[in-house]
Amino acid sequence: MKRPGPKHYLLAPGVLLVSCVFLAPFLLLVVLSFWTQPEGTLLVEPSLTVENYLRIFSDPYYLRGLARTIWLSFATVFFSLLLGFPAAYWIVRRAVRLRRIVMALMLLPMVCGALLPTLGLVNILSPLGIINGSLKQLGLIDRSIPLLGTQTGILIGLIQAFLPLMVLPLVAVMERLPLALEEAAMSLGARPPQVWWRVVMPLAAPGIVAGSVLVFCAALTSFVTPQILGQGKIATFAAMTWQQASLVLDWPFASALAMVMLLIMAALACMVLGFRRLNWVRP
Amino acid sequence: MRRVLLGGVTALVVLFTVAPLIVLVFSSFDDGKFFRFPPREFSMRWFEAAFASVEYRSSLLNSAVVAVVATLISVVLGTAAALGLQRTALRSRAALEMVLLAPLTLPLVIWAIALLQIYSWLGVGGTFWGLALAHATFTLPFSVRVMLATLSAIEPGLELAARSLGARPWRAFARITLPLALPGIATSAALSFFISFNDVIVSTFIAGSSWMTFPVRLYSQLRGQGIDPTTLAIGTMIIASILIVVALTELFNRKASRA
Amino acid sequence: MKTCWKTACSVASIGLVLGGASFAQDYAGETLVVGTWGGDIERLLREHAAGPLEEATGAKVEFLLGGSGDRMAKLYAEKSNPTMDVTFQNIYEAPQALSDGLVVAPDESSEIYGDLWEGMNDGCYAMSLVGLGIAYNRDLVSEPVEWADMWNPDYKGMIAMAPYPSSEGDGLLGVAARLEGTDEHDPDVAFAKVAELGAPALNYTSLDEVFALMDAGEVAMAPMISGYVLAALKEWDNIGFSFPTDPGPVLVRDMVCQVANSPNPELAKMFIKLALSPATQEAYAEELLFGPTNSKAELSEEAAADTVNTPEEVASLLQLDWPYVISQRADWTDRWNREVLGQ
Repeated sequence: MKRPGPKHYLLAPGVLLVSCVFLAPFLLLVVLSFWTQPEGTLLVEPSLTVENYLRIFSDPYYLRGLARTIWLSFATVFFSLLLGFPAAYWIVRRAVRLRRIVMALMLLPMVCGALLPTLGLVNILSPLGIINGSLKQLGLIDRSIPLLGTQTGILIGLIQAFLPLMVLPLVAVMERLPLALEEAAMSLGARPPQVWWRVVMPLAAPGIVAGSVLVFCAALTSFVTPQILGQGKIATFAAMTWQQASLVLDWPFASALAMVMLLIMAALACMVLGFRRLNWVRP
Repeated sequence: MRRVLLGGVTALVVLFTVAPLIVLVFSSFDDGKFFRFPPREFSMRWFEAAFASVEYRSSLLNSAVVAVVATLISVVLGTAAALGLQRTALRSRAALEMVLLAPLTLPLVIWAIALLQIYSWLGVGGTFWGLALAHATFTLPFSVRVMLATLSAIEPGLELAARSLGARPWRAFARITLPLALPGIATSAALSFFISFNDVIVSTFIAGSSWMTFPVRLYSQLRGQGIDPTTLAIGTMIIASILIVVALTELFNRKASRA
Repeated sequence: MKTCWKTACSVASIGLVLGGASFAQDYAGETLVVGTWGGDIERLLREHAAGPLEEATGAKVEFLLGGSGDRMAKLYAEKSNPTMDVTFQNIYEAPQALSDGLVVAPDESSEIYGDLWEGMNDGCYAMSLVGLGIAYNRDLVSEPVEWADMWNPDYKGMIAMAPYPSSEGDGLLGVAARLEGTDEHDPDVAFAKVAELGAPALNYTSLDEVFALMDAGEVAMAPMISGYVLAALKEWDNIGFSFPTDPGPVLVRDMVCQVANSPNPELAKMFIKLALSPATQEAYAEELLFGPTNSKAELSEEAAADTVNTPEEVASLLQLDWPYVISQRADWTDRWNREVLGQ
């Protein structure tokens, strides 16, 4: 019997599509990021300069924006993991009949796109929204607490939007863990928290890593959620890119901002690959 | 006690993810132009307005057509690519996988502007296929991911067995692998469809005047005169239709598992 | 009935433009693409410009909706092969588009050019005149409301602003500079003065958002552009709008542009002529309170009271040096982000 060989014809259409529609514009951006916009015009001029990159890294404003975006993305990962891990565990181990429904509900915001859930969140967080409205009804406050236009508001929106990206890979990995392992640990006298820390968590590590990477990248590049919930007061890196690309029309600089974001993600990917390799080396 | 705690956390998580949508549905029945809590008067007027508006209807239809075509491309190419990846040597596999997942890495705004320039050079700006291919491209990574996960769970020996019993490759695939992969195909189709259907950013730049989609219309209004509550009503209907699809799949799955 | 009559007039006028009915069918099968804002503007343009043009020529008119910034991006990205024929831009964008050769300069010899107020066609044809004034909560702010009141410490943290870059933002900078005895050419003074207001209570993207918060007493004042705002304010009793006098309201204009090298230049010219015709301009004024640029437009008393529509009113408005403001865009965006928003 012959093993099926490599199927390049299966891969070709997909790779072709991505190459034409994604990689070509991507290369254009790489080139653009080294071009400039002369004084007095919005048209770009071919050149070879690192001016755009220097501007990002020499200006505390952009560095602060970068730091803020990275911190928000890490915070999103942290809280998604904190909330997503127990939920995934419950879905895999406890939910029997509810399982599909719970999964479907969790997927709902992802399927609805960024706009609809964000509009809902605005109605919850706005000065006249549900939280402030309830507090005012209860007589606890006179003037609204600002929730929109704050980092907290954005963080809430990001967690809400990207939690499913954490839960899905966690569920996928945990499903493959035999229940017998936990039972064995318990029978050897381990208490449930120990079982979680010492048995479940390490074995679920690939899922944790996959979920964290997905959530981090999504949070880093997300635009609609921070823009609407931040009301333009909190600049994230994607919002800065948008402002430069779509309002100031300085495309070379906007491209450079996007490239920096991409490099951060690439660095992260390398770290994760390194981590995986370490894992493989270990028995 | 611990069980209750775990269940409680899960319930909270579910509530947290779904709450904004519940509020959205709730506020689409509020009479006011800008939602405030406590709400003032119950009203169906935004739903009536939604059905009365020709523009909303035609843009919803545009969105649906673009999403269906993009989904078809994305699912077919994604499934093929996942099959191909599964049968590729480990070394080149990582690189190819990278390429296929790459569209997730750039902010869509800047990508859309660059794509618009390329389309313009090629003279396909504003065309249907330009838009559909763009949508297929950014939904493709989701299809590939889901299909890779699905295929990896299918025992490869099954198809090999069928072939060793004399089935031709295509037949073995169609009779063995395809039926087993059906839930995954359905999932990636649903994901692709709704991600395409709800896209704002790419369509704002790429969609021509003949293919103005619903979210573009919504967003262009949101930034001018304000949130037209009509759009909240339409959002409510979109959420309702998603729930119906989910419920139907659930029913279908239950029947299938009983059979 | 009145609308019917107006439509008939427009059809007749376009018949004249074409120089005979036999000409009309030549455009059947052509599609004119017009970029504009969704909502009321789209509706009025369809009624008064697109509809009559379709009837007269057999061509089809389609609208491309979005913000004017999106359209600017589209103009630049598609400069080799434009898909839009006509685009509506803001005054802070049009001169730049002309100097970069993306739009056709207004034709000074044309009849319609002569009908428009003098000196308004910077870059493209002026479509409507509106003034940057102040919307305010009547219970919190005592009338008459002047620019200087925004700096009253009682209202600190209760001012809403539009996101930058925008005509509202540039206008506010111009006003702030004049309050300090200079003008927009002295950005250091302007930014320092605007920064004194502190971070805005709200960075608004929609009118309803501002009004709901103003109604609830969360926002006291907001520099806003007349037009839409005045039309929408009819629903809010406790919100007023002031055209200040010291300095006057800042003149802001929407412009209508013919895209350079577009597929249908002839149809584009006809559309622009219809958009600038008294019929469309009157509808803009009556329904949205956007001041007409066509001096032949005749308004009802009600509309005339709330719009900029006489030469004297136009003269009382504060005019910024837009080409200069535009040239500072990138720099001022950075400064606004830092100094006003405190990012």
